[in-house]
Amino acid sequence: MTQRISCKDTTWLVSESRERALTQEEQQNLERHIERCPACQGASKQFEVLFSQLKHYLGNSDSKENAKD
Amino acid sequence: MDSGLLKTIAEEAAGYRPVLYRMALTQLKNAAAAEDATQETLLAAIEKGASFEGRSSLRTWLFSILRFKILDVMRDQSKFKRFSAGYTGDRSESNDYEVGAIDALFDDCGCWAEPKDAWTNPHTVAERDAFFKVLESCMACLPERTSRAFLMREWLELETPEICLQLGVSPGNLRILLYRARMQLRLCMDLHWERN
Repeated sequence: MTQRISCKDTTWLVSESRERALTQEEQQNLERHIERCPACQGASKQFEVLFSQLKHYLGNSDSKENAKD
Repeated sequence: MDSGLLKTIAEEAAGYRPVLYRMALTQLKNAAAAEDATQETLLAAIEKGASFEGRSSLRTWLFSILRFKILDVMRDQSKFKRFSAGYTGDRSESNDYEVGAIDALFDDCGCWAEPKDAWTNPHTVAERDAFFKVLESCMACLPERTSRAFLMREWLELETPEICLQLGVSPGNLRILLYRARMQLRLCMDLHWERN
């Protein structure tokens, strides 16, 4: 059963999903909220860019092999 | 590789010493250990200069070498640490992620107080460098413990139980630290990153 979640709850789930797989219910709540919330569409795109650029910055993307002995 | 190019790598790498040291110190909490890890990273970069083919930026390459140095030190340390059990059991296990700065972003119903523009990924080298420069200062503004937890997760890629052990925090508190770090970084980038 899905329920309405707030924008703030949405940011919490976006953060949580970096550590663990969301439950099916959480995933659905998240998707449904984002679908009809322009501010959260913007914010999740921002997080997406932030996370992917951060990986590049920290060298976690494709460069690990270089550093192994 | 000719000696001229190696010399250039050595010189450029030395320029990253302060940021490497800062990253190492945040994780290792010990000036001597951080200095050693930094020094070993720079030496490894010079020794293995030939394997650096410019596939990634020099900074990226140095960070990935330092990452392994830090993980090695942590592994050695935790052999001793495990006996004294790191997690001391702080009490706030709830999902209480309410904090002033984050609260101010939302109205009473938990809706974003202001509209959010989607960012577009920086494409060119110059755009990316600009993004990284702001990202670096934004990360430097994170509170120390928040930054340490965040980089353990996103850079060292430790699993959450290992981070809880290293930091002596509960799983609930770690989730809050990581949430705050991400919220704060997004906000800082939104305020300071000049987009076209």
